[in-house]
Amino acid sequence: MTLSKLSLRNAKRQAKDYLVYFVTVVMAAALIYAFNGLVFSKEVLELSAHLSSLPAAIVFASIVVVCIIGWLVHYTTGFMLTKRSRELGTYILIGLESKQVTRLFLMENLTIGGVALVLGTLLGNLLYQVLRAIVLALFGMPYHFGFSFSLRALGLTLLYFALIYLFAQIKSRMRIRSMKIYDLIYYEKINEEEIIQKSSRRRRTFVISIVFGIIGTLLIMIGQAPPSFIGAACIIVFLYGFFISFSSGVPAYFESRPAKKYSRQTLLVFRTLSAKLATMGVVMATISLLFTAVLISQGMGLVFSSIFHNREAQSCSFDLYIASYDTNVNLSKCLDFVHTNIPVTCELQYPVYLTEDSPITDYLESTARYYRYYPKDTMMKYSDYAALRAMLGYPEASLEPGKYLIHCAPYIKGLLEDYDRNVMLNGEDLAQGNIYTENFNQRLYLSGNGFEFLLVVPDELLEKCTVGSINYAAMTTVPVRETQLISLSNQLSRSTEPLSEDFIGIYSKAQAEADAAFGITIFVLPLYYLALILTMTTVTILTIHQLSEINRYRQQFDLLRKLGMEKREMVGTLRTQFAIYYAMPAIPPLLITIPFILHMGKEVDPGILIGASHPVVILGITLGLFFLIYAIYILLAYTGLKRNVLPYA
Amino acid sequence: MLQVRNIEKYYGSKNHVTKALDRISFNVTEGEFIAIMGASGSGKTTLLNCISTIDTISAGSILLNGIDISELGESELARFRRERLGFVFQDFNLLDTLTIEENIGLALTLNHSDSHAVQNRVQEVSGKLGITDILGKFPYQVSGGQKQRAACARAMVAGQSLLLADEPTGALDSTASKNLLEIMTRMNHEMGATILMVTHDAYSASYASRVLFLKDGKIFNELLRGERNRSVFYREILNVLALLGGDISDVI
Repeated sequence: MTLSKLSLRNAKRQAKDYLVYFVTVVMAAALIYAFNGLVFSKEVLELSAHLSSLPAAIVFASIVVVCIIGWLVHYTTGFMLTKRSRELGTYILIGLESKQVTRLFLMENLTIGGVALVLGTLLGNLLYQVLRAIVLALFGMPYHFGFSFSLRALGLTLLYFALIYLFAQIKSRMRIRSMKIYDLIYYEKINEEEIIQKSSRRRRTFVISIVFGIIGTLLIMIGQAPPSFIGAACIIVFLYGFFISFSSGVPAYFESRPAKKYSRQTLLVFRTLSAKLATMGVVMATISLLFTAVLISQGMGLVFSSIFHNREAQSCSFDLYIASYDTNVNLSKCLDFVHTNIPVTCELQYPVYLTEDSPITDYLESTARYYRYYPKDTMMKYSDYAALRAMLGYPEASLEPGKYLIHCAPYIKGLLEDYDRNVMLNGEDLAQGNIYTENFNQRLYLSGNGFEFLLVVPDELLEKCTVGSINYAAMTTVPVRETQLISLSNQLSRSTEPLSEDFIGIYSKAQAEADAAFGITIFVLPLYYLALILTMTTVTILTIHQLSEINRYRQQFDLLRKLGMEKREMVGTLRTQFAIYYAMPAIPPLLITIPFILHMGKEVDPGILIGASHPVVILGITLGLFFLIYAIYILLAYTGLKRNVLPYA
Repeated sequence: MLQVRNIEKYYGSKNHVTKALDRISFNVTEGEFIAIMGASGSGKTTLLNCISTIDTISAGSILLNGIDISELGESELARFRRERLGFVFQDFNLLDTLTIEENIGLALTLNHSDSHAVQNRVQEVSGKLGITDILGKFPYQVSGGQKQRAACARAMVAGQSLLLADEPTGALDSTASKNLLEIMTRMNHEMGATILMVTHDAYSASYASRVLFLKDGKIFNELLRGERNRSVFYREILNVLALLGGDISDVI
């Protein structure tokens, strides 16, 4: 049998033994290819001028992905090397040169990587279509399935994989070459020592690490750069200290409580786990750290996408909107341009007025996290308000005599209902009427329909009031896109004094949507790409550790069966061991992430993270997504383990 | 105590049937120390597995204290094994993640004994077997002989009535073997343990009070030690083995 045949056969066996690892490398190849597809997609890059920075963002994320997958391949190769050192030693013992054995081992791994790359690329093509559909949907463009194969995307994927495997191969080569036959044959027998032996030191480490964990979480929650970095460092110290001391601390706990140790299945469960933790405390801490990073980046991704999405909805509701707080502005030339170039269906030019003082702004400032954007409270004529509502297709709002209406952001509605004070205008006393909360251009700096709130009053009472801004709103038959806005802006700068340009804002609903889509594409997609790869990598490493001990588990349960343990109890013990093993590295990240995301929600401008974007919902989705992937791997590992360990159950 | 009646065991498919046990019958009375001898493939381990309920018989019956174990359900069998039987295997079969004390205590935990009493009971039994000083160690930290004594302790700590030993000295050197056999004899004499030991080593068998010889799945001969001393009994065993034939290196 030639060496290549032997390595091919071994590769097949390895792929079967390490199926979870193989699947993860295939998925990684698919994701890398799919994102590379975006980098080279003309169709996607032409969606917005800003998207020219998308390739850079994806390449940056891919470099991080290459490092993560490189670590996975390196780690798993090293792990396989440990588990197969006796076999490799035997090859040398029967006369193969160490160079040949190295080549044999490397060829096997390259074969696995090669097959994964081919399968991954095929799957990646489908995944690319999913990504394309998402991006097109974000930009409001229609999606048509079109099978495309990008040679350049494949080339880049190949380059990334070459880098991943080159790194892992060099490390393994160095490792095998430096090992003697004796080391190889007896490698498995090397017992890893507990890192911290003394119980007093262990307890101290445990307590100190918890303190670091609490300080770290608090610092991260401050949300500013220097404290966050120190916080992250504290959390790293916490995780490593916690897992190293915890693995040594559990046996100490039970040794002084024999009755607890010998009750039910505790003995088997805690001993199996502490044996595992003693040898993989550092790995567990690393995995826990990466889980924390995954949960935080997923949570942040959702927060960002909610911000982009909700800001877009609240900023511009009209197809075209021009506003100026230079009240002497002459918009006529600009509007001529609009009329010639943009098919307008209905339009309105109207002023927004200011009150003499600012009782409502003062009230909001004192009761909520409200920022004063206007020096005074803002008002609008009822006739303008009714026309604007009609343009947006909102139901009619009636104004009873002697009353004023309020249009505000949903989050301050309750506060304004509580306010319920009369307004004196032109000597007339107006009582509070209905409050409306639809999206109404109320988040534009100094030039919208008030900032988050606006009073609507009878037309005649505003005759003598100060005008705050001149606004123009229009609805069109087709979306007003970026290029038209740029032309419009150029037109304005030609027609007004240079100074005036600073006071004028031009907005369109389509542009606001494109801005949000751009934000999500450039920040959120790469963030999720990273989070997905990290989750799969870390869960794979956890699972490989678990599955590699199938023989040990089988022997253990075989003996327990002979000793008369019942099936039900065996299944229970296996499940408990399994559950605790997978829960261990996930608990500290949960304790860090839950307060972090909830706090993040408070840091964002009020009124943004509400409804389906409420921090609690974001937290739920983040944890749900993460645990969904986690559960798939756990289920795969558990069925594999149960089938092998308890075939009779 | 144990009655084995006409048991048969077949392996294989329709076309190719191997008869591992062929109408074997014998009785074991309480407090006996019986050795089952035979060359490789004679069926001795199969017999032990059938008695220990790990394997099932094709025909016949096995009665322990009047209970026909071939009629017990799965859950009852598990209960039967943990309450009545103690096992000692050639390769010790201790769990390497548990200390020696915990390995012994495991038998009590499986029997749902009072968890407060486990440690004392383990101390008591290991005192009798001379392994108190290694209770806190892990199996890989102690010698083969000590491991086997720990296995003996596990086999009797829960008050099991029948100790089944499969080649218990197989992985031990001669001194450790001798120590173990003396301990098993003491367990038999002083603690009243009934022992059924499978071995292909005549020296080990000479410690028993009765030796059953198996050949091709049948009982070929039976030797009773009676009042004879061990060295005489040992020579008699060798004589029977010579009659049995087979590879001599296999039996000495």
